[in-house]
Parts: sequence; structure tokens; C-alpha cells
Amino acid sequence: MDDLTMLRDLGRDLEHEPPAGLARQRRRLLDEVAGGRRRRLTWFTGGRPAGWIALAAVAVVTAALVVVPTVLLRESTGLHLLTPPIGDRLPKQGQALTVLLLGSDRRPSWDDPGSSERSDLMILLRLSADRKQATAVSLPRDSMVQIPQCRSADGRTVTAHTDMINQAYAIGGLACARKTVESATGVRVDHAVAIRYDGLAKLVDALGGVAVTLPRAVDDPKSKLRLPAGRSVIDGETAVAYARLRYVGDGSDIARIKRNVALMQAMLKKVSRTDNLAALAALVRVAATSVTTDPALDLDALVMLAADVQRAGTRVTALTVPWRPYEKDPNRIEWKQPEAARLFARLTGG
Amino acid sequence: MVSLMIPLATPRLDSDLIAESRARPEAFAALFDRYASMLYRYASRRLGPEVAEDLVGETFLVAFRRRDLYDLTRPDARPWLFGIVSKLVSRHHRDEAARYRALTRSPLDDVAESPAERVEDGVSASTVRPLLAAALARLSKGDRDVLLLIAWADLSYDEVAQALGIPVGTVRSRLNRARRKVRESLGHTNPLRDEE
Repeated sequence: MDDLTMLRDLGRDLEHEPPAGLARQRRRLLDEVAGGRRRRLTWFTGGRPAGWIALAAVAVVTAALVVVPTVLLRESTGLHLLTPPIGDRLPKQGQALTVLLLGSDRRPSWDDPGSSERSDLMILLRLSADRKQATAVSLPRDSMVQIPQCRSADGRTVTAHTDMINQAYAIGGLACARKTVESATGVRVDHAVAIRYDGLAKLVDALGGVAVTLPRAVDDPKSKLRLPAGRSVIDGETAVAYARLRYVGDGSDIARIKRNVALMQAMLKKVSRTDNLAALAALVRVAATSVTTDPALDLDALVMLAADVQRAGTRVTALTVPWRPYEKDPNRIEWKQPEAARLFARLTGG
Repeated sequence: MVSLMIPLATPRLDSDLIAESRARPEAFAALFDRYASMLYRYASRRLGPEVAEDLVGETFLVAFRRRDLYDLTRPDARPWLFGIVSKLVSRHHRDEAARYRALTRSPLDDVAESPAERVEDGVSASTVRPLLAAALARLSKGDRDVLLLIAWADLSYDEVAQALGIPVGTVRSRLNRARRKVRESLGHTNPLRDEE
């Protein structure tokens, strides 16, 4: 008897039949596929478990287009009185402006209640000098980059090392995230803003609800969502259920992403129609509860900025930094050079 | 009757699916449906059922992320997928060796099915298997990958070369070395070997 034949027999005896669990693995791939699509086409990046991604996507889009101008505007509402900063990062009026947006996950760890939030979405937003154009470059959270030396919240100094880009925020908050992004992209960041995802329901409510249109009626006991076919105006809680809805449509994540895009568009529409100052101020107040900004805000300039953006009807172009699988670990990615460097150069040059 | 010779639904090549998935990512799921079971069976032989399940999932995640790097001139994606599997298996090489060593001590009790008809098969399987398993446990990672891709995944030399990214000559020499070691470990107690 041939050694290979004996080996084949042994192999057959060791073999197991595929379990039902492979369906779970298929699901995992589909989640990644959905993530990949987001990564390619838009700025909703992340590869997080679904549901949560959906909220993240909405929150971040909201962040970029709603919260930035409004939050920046909040200073004019008297909610916060900050000492006008002195330093080299004064916002520039009539000049291009770069804002780093972080979508953060407020899930404090039990071991360490004061522990950091994690940033799972990072967007570098460039506003043109005339405010007519905004370019949003998504920096996937699992991008491997050099994280410069940062000081952590408890005062320790964390030395420079290579890690996923989202670690920077965990290590040293906005300051470290900004430093890391500046060093990785070569783009000078004027402001850093972090938005928590828990703001979605509150934002929708602050907008007085948003309108969605459903092709057919939904009665989903799981998410407790009941909506008739056609157009409905939904409140914040319902919007969250709608965003999370799983067993409707073809049940795929793509379908869910579509719903989220629809929701986001509904919110934007509502915001763009908000022209009275009181309503905007209310929105700002809500947004402010979910937002952290860096301290270096020049109030006047930011109010100007917000007003400019509102007036200019800024067009937003969404991009993702060119990437490829990280050589040392295919589950991570690294930025593709020289394409990434070129993109960042164009971002600031334009 | 030429028309009869055209199949109604032409089976699509793996490379076509992968090409399509670059623009339409969800097309990649078809590749999973095609090969997940096969890869699972292979991985379960090497690492057991629990690890195999996760490993197959991981394999497709890696494959999906690397689909842009796939050489579309290769219609059959199996070598590529088995290459990824091999790489992921190698992360567990200690567990794999331990699994084979366990087989040298106990009868095959963690085995899924043990066909009754194989009880008497010329050479007593129960005496040979512990020796085979011991030999597998001792092989170097590179030699074991080649040997098992040939014996358990039924890849050709060329396909193994593609899968592991090594020249065909290296496949041959690794296979020869691996088989020699296996035969040596059997040789001490297997009187039938010399009669082949």
C-alpha cells in the first residue's frame, strides 16, 4: 500500500462535514462585502457588525453635513462660552479649512469607567476657501499608520509606534488623533471634532422628525417598527428602529445601507430647509450634547463658517483613501502609495 | 446541431466571478458557495472542526480583500484559496502538530466517521495511522503544506506551486522529502512496504 494512499485514508477519517456554522461564516463575508462596498463608494467605512455600522453611517454623514456647520455655529447661541484661543491654529476666514471628524463609540469599558471612547470613523474634511466645495476623505479605522508620541489622558507618555489609526484617539483623544492624522497625511488639520453615535435619535427629534417612504408596510416585532406603505414622518426612536431594521426587503446589509442613505438624505433635506435661527439653535443644542471639539475655536470665524456653508450650499465629494491589504496582516490595511500621498497633496493644493 | 452543444447556462469561471466582484462586491458570495465546503473539509482534517469553521470564514475575508490582486488569467481559484488556507493554518501549526501527536496515542476517537469497511484493509489501519500521524507531526511546515495539498486537497504540482507561491521544482523536492520521511516512519514496522 502506497504511502499517499494511506495518507488519503487517514485524511478521510479525520474529515468533518461542513456544519451549519458555515452559514455564519457566509454572513461574515456578506458583512465584509457590504463594508467593502461602503469603503469603495462612500465614506461609511469600518467593517463593524451591521446594525451598529448603520447608525455609525448615519451619524457620521450627519456629522459632516449637519453637525459641523451647526456645531460650529453653536457658539453663537451662547451655549458655550470659550475663551477665544491664542495660538497658531486660528480658523482662517476666506481660506480653505481642514477639519478632522471622528465618529466615536461611547462604550466605556467596565474596568476603567474613565476610559477612552474609540473612534471608528475618521474623515478628513476639506472646505474650500469659498465654502462651495467640501471634500471628505474617509480614513478606514484599521489603517496601519505610525502613531507619533502622544500623551494619554492619565498623563503617561506613549511612545511612537505602528498601529491602527483608530488607536490614536483611544490613546490620547482628539489631540493624539489630530497629530497622527497630520503626520500620516501631511495635511495640517485646523480642527478636530468627535461625534458620538448616540445622537441620531436626538437629532431626528430636534429636526421635528424626518420623512421616509416605504415601498410596502412594515410590521416588525423585532424592532417594534410599524409603518404603513408610502410616506411617513418618523421620530427619533422610530428612525433608529428603521435604521436597524433587518428582516425587511431582501434582508441584506445592502438593503439596510440603502435605508440609511435614505434616512440621511431625509435629515439633510430637513436641515437645508431649516432657515429660521431658533430651529437651528435647537438643533445645535442637541448636536452639542453628542459632540466634542478641540478647544482652539475662534468663535467669530466659526460662526462665519457655519453661515457660509449654509449659504453656499456646499457640495460634498466623498472619497476613501486608496488602500490595500497590510502586508504583515491581511486583516488590516495600509494606504497605497504614492496614490494616497497624491490625494492628500491635491486636497490641500486645490 | 450546433445549438445543442451550447450549454443552457454556461458555468462561470472563478476568474469571471472575481472580476465581477471588483465592481459588484456581492458577486464574491458565489465563490463562497462554490468552495467553502471543500475548504472546510480540508481545514477540518488539519485542525479539527471548530478551528476549521472560523478559518474558512477568515479565508474568504482575506480573499475578498485581496480580490484586486487576483491574477485573472487563472480561471480556477482553488489554488489561490488553498494558498490562503495554508497561510492561516500555519498560524495554528502548534495545534496542528499536537492534533497529530494525539492521534499517535489514542485510537481515532475524535474522528467524525470511521467507515466499518476499512477495518481490515490489507495493512491494519490501526497500526499504521499512529505512525502516519507521528510523521505528519514531525514534518516542517513547508513540507507538510505541500504533502497535504497533494494528498488531501488533490491539487496538482503546478497548483500547489501557485498556491504557495513557490517554484514547481520546490514542490517536487518538498514532496519527495516529505514522502520519504513518512515512508521511513512506516518502514520500521511495515513489512509490506518493500513489496511495492
